[in-house]
Amino acid sequence: MLWTALYFPQLPLEVFVPDPPQDPERARAISHTRNSREIVMRCNPAATIQGICPGLPVPAALALCSGLQVLARDETRERAALQGLALWAYQFSPHISLDPLMLLIETGASLRLFGNPESLSGLLSRDLDQLGHEYRIAMAPTPAAANLLARTHPGSITRTTTELRRQIDGVALARLTRDTEVRALIDAIGLGTIGECLTLPRGELARRTSPKLILLFDRLLGQAPDPRPAWQPPEHFEQHLEFPGEIIHHTALCFPARRLILALCGYLRGHGGSVQHLHWRLEHREIPATDFQQGLMKPSRDAHHILDIFRERIERVSLPGPVVAMSLQVTDWLAFEEQTADLLQERASPKDEAFLERLRNRLGEERVQGLSVIADYRPERAWSWCPPGTGRNEETGEHQPLWLLDPPCPLSVHEQAPSYGGTLALERLPERIETGWWDGFDIVRDYFVAHNPDGERLWVFRDRRSGEWYLHGLFH
Amino acid sequence: MPDSLCRAEITDPVIMADINLEKLVTRGTLWRGRQDVSPAETVEPTGWEPLDALIGGWPRGALTELLSNRYSGLPLLIPALAGLSDTDRWLVWTAPPHLPYAPALAARGVQMEKVLVIRQASLSQRLWVTEQALRSGDCAAVLAWFEHLEIAPLRRLQLAAEQGGGIGVLFRPTDATRQSSPARLRLRVIPTTSGFDLEVLKRHGGWGGGRCSVRL
Repeated sequence: MLWTALYFPQLPLEVFVPDPPQDPERARAISHTRNSREIVMRCNPAATIQGICPGLPVPAALALCSGLQVLARDETRERAALQGLALWAYQFSPHISLDPLMLLIETGASLRLFGNPESLSGLLSRDLDQLGHEYRIAMAPTPAAANLLARTHPGSITRTTTELRRQIDGVALARLTRDTEVRALIDAIGLGTIGECLTLPRGELARRTSPKLILLFDRLLGQAPDPRPAWQPPEHFEQHLEFPGEIIHHTALCFPARRLILALCGYLRGHGGSVQHLHWRLEHREIPATDFQQGLMKPSRDAHHILDIFRERIERVSLPGPVVAMSLQVTDWLAFEEQTADLLQERASPKDEAFLERLRNRLGEERVQGLSVIADYRPERAWSWCPPGTGRNEETGEHQPLWLLDPPCPLSVHEQAPSYGGTLALERLPERIETGWWDGFDIVRDYFVAHNPDGERLWVFRDRRSGEWYLHGLFH
Repeated sequence: MPDSLCRAEITDPVIMADINLEKLVTRGTLWRGRQDVSPAETVEPTGWEPLDALIGGWPRGALTELLSNRYSGLPLLIPALAGLSDTDRWLVWTAPPHLPYAPALAARGVQMEKVLVIRQASLSQRLWVTEQALRSGDCAAVLAWFEHLEIAPLRRLQLAAEQGGGIGVLFRPTDATRQSSPARLRLRVIPTTSGFDLEVLKRHGGWGGGRCSVRL
């Protein structure tokens, strides 16, 4: 067993959006109630400079710094933030349990996948650096030990109980538990460190202290079971992020988006899934939210790739006002298909879908098109737009021009000859196109190749019903 | 003995200078005024005999400018585009002024599945697409139509083309002749009743000023 504890010491502060948002540098503190007194639990650097520190009673803190903003701890928000982090962490193990300010992940079983504890720790840090929370990591053979060491020995990797004993020997007993009864007992017996307690004979210790403390030690060292219910991930991915300030520019939205995408990709890895449609919502202060979709050419769970596409997509979103929060929702994720099949396929058609995807997301799908030939004599019906890469060839337009005017452009007539940049000289005999009675678009036209005084070769026709002339194509 | 031969050459200052010149020429730092095409340059044959004789072909990994009064000259590119459409890369048309007529392209051998058309884009979007397409390496040819273009974006496009290795063709108005340009090849295109008259304004590894006529 190897448990990884991820400790987020500043989470109580981080879950609050600074208010007013324009002033994130304001001195702030989170308070909680201890023995019916309001005590400072966490504070930001601006408050630390003013002499505020955890443990200080709130009235004393306010006396030190009158501008201090004190917020009551909100454990519901903390839990929601931890749930969000658990979504991301789900890729590392299906067994995650939530402690206050802490994720405990059973990573022993997944080590084979991630190599050794060091490389796993590296992977965790790489993502955590981008997730926007202060964090500490520790790995230990039991969840209780990982929890303790994340707070007392951040960065430590402890593999065996022998090593564990050495690590925890000097740790103050008070760090072990928040249970007030046990803490009062610890104060009473005058033992300072965990090591001092563990050197006492077990029977003696049990008699002098309480069974609760014994159980704590046993769980810490793996001598008693410490069952932890596994956190159950939700069926759909949905995560919400409030910003510390207002975001006005598109590009600035990429930072919070990265956090959400990282969480999404962790969630998908854990489920063996991938995603093709992402639903984004941007929230504004007083106006309705802006919703938009991000589509991928192929299902993916590659955070880099999804973020790249997001960058293009967001450019096309018009923002009616500053953005204060953002959420990402995915309801229809798919089972991930490993892409080995692609390697075996012949490269018959253009294959850089990332390129196409970038274009489509930046410009919109309707502006990035392929062209296809349709077997029809009517020029208007002889072609169509199509998804890129699906255009078909039919050999029909041998003597026709490379450019089509859509719709045909009416020509003025001077002395019975059509004119376009001067009077047109008609070449050859006309080609008559008379068809389409079956679908309502029936035409009777005589098409001519013509040239104007500038030497430009044109494709013109005379509508045999109305006698009017039209320019329909250009050869140059 | 090649070794002694080499030493003998180096002692002769005249021959030594010759060697260094040769080096510069092969490196492409120096080109000969009368040499038709720089040997280092890779080109795509245009498929038009008189044009190939004049310029060698469309330069790969570079910009070509076709300057005319009304964006003329597309037919000149068609044989090359048809050849390139057999590869697995896109032929990108960035906001063409009219609709490329699929039956005519197909009849001239262009594989339609490689054709990618960008429709109705603003100038900045067109520049962005053109640069992306040129740089990506997944586009065999990138065609774009620009009315006015500053030198800075032109340079960006030329650099992007060098990176991606495709053929970049810009259709530009005749006015642009007066503007200097980083494009590797600049041709003035004048439509005639039988085809085109062409004048080389600039080319890599040779003088401008050559002319030819292409009959369609």
